[in-house]
Parts: sequence; C-alpha cells; structure tokens
Amino acid sequence: MRHELMLAVSVVVLLVVEIFSSAKHKTNVVLPLSIALMGLSMLVGGMYPEAGTLFGGIYRTDALRTAVKLVLDAGALLVFFQVYGWIRRPENSDKVSEFFILVFSTLIGMHYMVSAGDFMMMYLGLELASIPLSALAAFDRYKRVSAEAGIKYILSSAMSTAFLLFGLSFIYITAGTLHFDALQAAFRPDVLTILGLVFFMAGMAFKISLVPFHLWTADVYEGAPVAVTAYFSVVSKGAAVFVLTWVLYHVFGAAVEQWRIILVTLAVMTMTVGNLFALRQQNMKRFLAFSSIAQAGFILLGMLGQGALGMASVVFYLLVYVFTNIAAFSVVAAISNATGKENIDDYRGLYATNPRLTLVLMVALFSLAGIPPVAGFFGKLFLFNAAASQGYYWLIFVAVVNATISLYYYLRPVRAMFIDKNEHPIAFFKSDAYMRMGLLLCMAGIFATGFISWFFEYLFAVS
Amino acid sequence: MLHTIPLHYFLIVGTLMFFIGVAGFIIRRNLITILMSVELMLNAVNINFLAVNRYLYPHHLEGHFFTLFIVAIAAAEASIAIALIINIYRRFSTIDVDQVSDMKY
Amino acid sequence: MGIEAVVLLFVVGLFLVGSAVIFAHFFAPKSENHSKFEAYECGIPVRDGAWMQFNVGYYMYALIYLVFDVEIVFLFPWAEVMHDMGTSAFVEVVIFFAVLGLGLAYAWKKNALKWQ
Repeated sequence: MRHELMLAVSVVVLLVVEIFSSAKHKTNVVLPLSIALMGLSMLVGGMYPEAGTLFGGIYRTDALRTAVKLVLDAGALLVFFQVYGWIRRPENSDKVSEFFILVFSTLIGMHYMVSAGDFMMMYLGLELASIPLSALAAFDRYKRVSAEAGIKYILSSAMSTAFLLFGLSFIYITAGTLHFDALQAAFRPDVLTILGLVFFMAGMAFKISLVPFHLWTADVYEGAPVAVTAYFSVVSKGAAVFVLTWVLYHVFGAAVEQWRIILVTLAVMTMTVGNLFALRQQNMKRFLAFSSIAQAGFILLGMLGQGALGMASVVFYLLVYVFTNIAAFSVVAAISNATGKENIDDYRGLYATNPRLTLVLMVALFSLAGIPPVAGFFGKLFLFNAAASQGYYWLIFVAVVNATISLYYYLRPVRAMFIDKNEHPIAFFKSDAYMRMGLLLCMAGIFATGFISWFFEYLFAVS
Repeated sequence: MLHTIPLHYFLIVGTLMFFIGVAGFIIRRNLITILMSVELMLNAVNINFLAVNRYLYPHHLEGHFFTLFIVAIAAAEASIAIALIINIYRRFSTIDVDQVSDMKY
Repeated sequence: MGIEAVVLLFVVGLFLVGSAVIFAHFFAPKSENHSKFEAYECGIPVRDGAWMQFNVGYYMYALIYLVFDVEIVFLFPWAEVMHDMGTSAFVEVVIFFAVLGLGLAYAWKKNALKWQ
C-alpha cells in the first residue's frame, strides 16, 4: 500500500506546487521534481516487497505484483526522461505540471488494477488509468489530430468499459459475488457465466488493443504527442495484460477450455493483422502503433501457458518491452522535437549525421524483431516456450512466420538510416541531457534484461 | 409490491437498453449523442446490478456499491468527454464524427 | 428464475437491433436535414446556431458542478456507517474533502471560476 500512497503523495505535492508557485519556467522545477518523486516511489514501494491483503481482501499485494508495479513505474520514469524537449515549448507552458500529475494519476490507477482482489477495485483502477490517459492524448490541444485522438480514446474506452461491466453483471447473476477468491470458489461454467466471460474479455481486448478491437489504436497513437504514445503503448497496455492474465488464471481457471479458444483466435488475428498493417505504414508513430498491436499478439502466446511459466514469461516480456519500445519512441521523439519530421523516408541517411541516435533505434528495432543477441529475443523465446508447454506447436509456427514477416518492416527504417542515400538528411542535432540519460537507461535495460538471467528466474520464482 | 415484478423483467430492460446504447454508439454521427449512448449502456449495467442484488443476494450490498462507483465514474468520464468535445468543436467547427477525421490509412 | 429466457431475450434483442440497423441501411431513404445533426431531436426547434450563443463559461461551470455534485453519492454510504465507525470514518471523509478541495483550488487558480 505504501507504493500507492507514495504516488498519491506525489500527485498532491505536484498539485500544491502548481497551485502555489508562480515560477516562470516551470519545466526546470517540475521535471526534476517529478523524476525524483517517481524514483522515490519506486524505492519506497520496491525496497522490501510486502505481502498481504487490505480492506477486506479487495486490495492485495505480493512480490509478483510489486515487480509488475516496478516495471510500470520504470516505464513512466523513462517517459519522463524523454519529454523535456516537448514540454518546455511555449504552447505547453500553462500545463507543465498537469502532464506529470496526469501520468502519476494513471499510475495509481494501474497499481490498483494490478493489486485488485475484486472486480470493483479492478474497475476503479481501470477508469482511474484511462480517464487521465484521454486527457493526455489530447494534450496538444491546439492540434487537430491530438484533439481527435483524445475524443476517440475516451469514447472507445468508455464503450469497452461498458462491455466489461455488462459481462461482470452476468457473472454476478450466477455467482453472487465479484470477489476474486469467492468467485473462484463459486465458479460454475454455465452459459451465463461464459457469456459474461466473453464480454469481459472483449472489454479487456479493447484496452490491450487486440484485433478486432484495435480500431482506435492507430489513430490515437498517431494523434497523441510522442511521449504520450510511448506511455500508451507500453505502460497502460502492460497493466491490462497483467490483470487479464491473472484473472484468467486464477478466477476463470475452471473455464480454461473456453477462454483458450478465444485467446488462440485473438492471438492469430492480432499477430497477422498487426503485421500486415505495419508493413505499409509511412509515419513512424503509426508504424510503431501497428508493431505494438502485433507484439500484443505475441504476448497472448505466453498467456496460453499455464501457471508460473505463463505468468513469468508474460511479465518478463513486459519488462523487456518497456525498455525496448520506449527506446524506439524516445528516438522518434528526439527527431520529432528537433525537426518535426516523423516519416520513415525522412530518416534516410540519418546514420551519417546522427550516428548515436541511429544505433539506439537500431538496437531497439532489433529487440522488437527478436534478433538473438538482444533482450527481445529472449522475451519471445520464453513466450513461445510457455505456449509450447501446453502443446500449441502450430500456433508457435504461425508466430514464427509472423516474426519473420515482422523482420522485413523492422529492418526498413534500419535500411533507410544506414543504406539509403538522401540529398538532405536530417542535420546533426544535440539532444538535451534528460533525453540522453533516458536513452542510456533504455539501452542499459535492453542489454541487462537480455544478458542477466536473474530477472526471469526471479519472476519465475515469485509467480 | 416490488416482488410482484419478476427479476427477468428488469434484466430484459437492462439488456435492451444496453443494446440500444450499442446501436446508438455505432450508427449516430453526433459526438454528444454517442456520449449519451455510452451513458445508456452504463445505466443498463446499473439496472442489472441493482436488480440482481435486490432479488437474489439481498444480504450483501456489493451490487449497490458497484453501482454507486459506476455512477460517480461515469460523471467524471462524461465531464472529460464533454471538455474534449468542446475542444473538438473549437478545432474542427463541427461535432459530426465523419468530419472529425484527419488521420487516414 | 428463467436464465434461459434471459439468454433468449438477449439474443432476440441483439437480432432486433441488428436487423433494424441492416434493414434501415438498405431500404431507408437517405436525406440530409438540419435537425439530424442536432443533439436533441425533440422539443422546441432550435433557433439559429445553438453553439454560438453560449458562453463557454457555462460549460466550464457545468463541468465543475457535475464532477463535484456526483462525488456526493459517496457520502450516503459514509453517513450510513459513520455512527458505528466513529472517528476513523470522520478522518477519512475529511481527507476525501481535502482532496476535493485541492481540485477546487486548482480550478480557482486556473481562472475556471472567473466569468469571462
């Protein structure tokens, strides 16, 4: 609980600073303060993982949940490092603190989601996470695309929540409770419960943007500011993935036959459609949006594995994905902040002018594609391993075919940066210190999770 | 008095309301009407929860509390959505969803 | 209690709405008229541009009112258990109101309460 309390205190501190300070250049105060508060929260919450339940069992925490929360916090921290160039612009000067307050609020929501012991708590966390996210998507409120992204996100998220709640009301009819443990004990796989389960999964699939519930994703990712897109694609997705996995394993464990069919169908569709659309994107943000849809399909493979193996592979992949995807988005943000260019064609010849940024983006894309030496490879390996433990060999074959297709489009920006000639490449520019620090942390994370086996072993031990 | 009305009457009303909301969400083109459709869906869920709680499990108040939270959060959601719609109107001078679409494949 | 009946009606409801949408899509005459794009299709006809007449300040007040008004629903269960729980319930509601007050202070600071 102290983890969430610390985050709540951070929100209050930032709000008080915003109300009572009249500093001209708020960025220089608020950004280091937010980074410090986030680091402090991670320290306070993660130092000695606590285990136990609170409020009559609707809040629960243990080592695994603490690990997931730390992964989410790390994602938010890395996003903070990349915002400096964007948040200090004059048009954002009246809403600097708000960005951080909203991010902290969504994190509290996700923490409650992860720690939920009851569907009501999960719903509250989900909404606390998604309502501020829609404000974040519309953060560049003078841009038409950003306004559009905000309204698309809030309406589709509200509808998906309604579906989720409708499913829960069916489950409530037969079981008479929404508490996870009581529900598991009272579980009867009759038609009404299965119907509720289907609605529940449809609602969650919206949040994780699985095909065919992905239609909002590309527009929201493209329209939102780059930092917010990075946050969307990694952190908000990660919390929903963990909760869905946990609920399926521990609450609907008796209906495993039914939800497996749904998961397999969603996995095949999500991987394939995400890949096919990613092939034809020109805008870097849109390209990464479809790539993240395809990645969600791979995560579903890990969910199919049962027990500790499945859970550990999913959480480990989230950990790798946080570093990898934020590294890619940070480079996109750096280039977009410096030049306003976001198309893959604009990246041609980038290696000649900005070699270090190019190398970071290359490592990130290799990791997303799952090329051996980097972390993404091990992440995918463990996901496939989890699916193999339940005998889904044909599904792994489909996934491998998809991973091969994805190589083509992940290597396209790499080819553009290294090989293609360009008369007017993006000129050399120097990123700010925060950005360089963030990229350094991302790189460290990608290599550390790839080469040190302790991470997976720890997650396997606690799940 | 209340118990002369069978439970499934409430559930039928709730289900119909929910799907009217879904239909409205899909076919209406005005952002405010779409928001109203979403509220209709949430209120349908509220009816389900309240009726089930009252009829089947009257000794626990779980459904009632869930409804209270849904109501409060729906209000927060609506206020953010309306703020965003005002912003949309300022940027696009319309709230017709067919015209609010700058991004295409 | 007839769960089968509920499921049946659920399917029928889906079918009714779905068939109405599909039927309308193919057979309904399509006409564009002004009142179609209004939020409310009933009541007194709207006199000229409904959007232009309102000061945005109205919306600002309405939104702030909406949020703070609905938070009051949490006071009903609180009032119900206040007597049994004693001081701790009181402290909790004070914290609740302090957070709400902070939100109000934020709105004040951002000049949302000023009539422009």
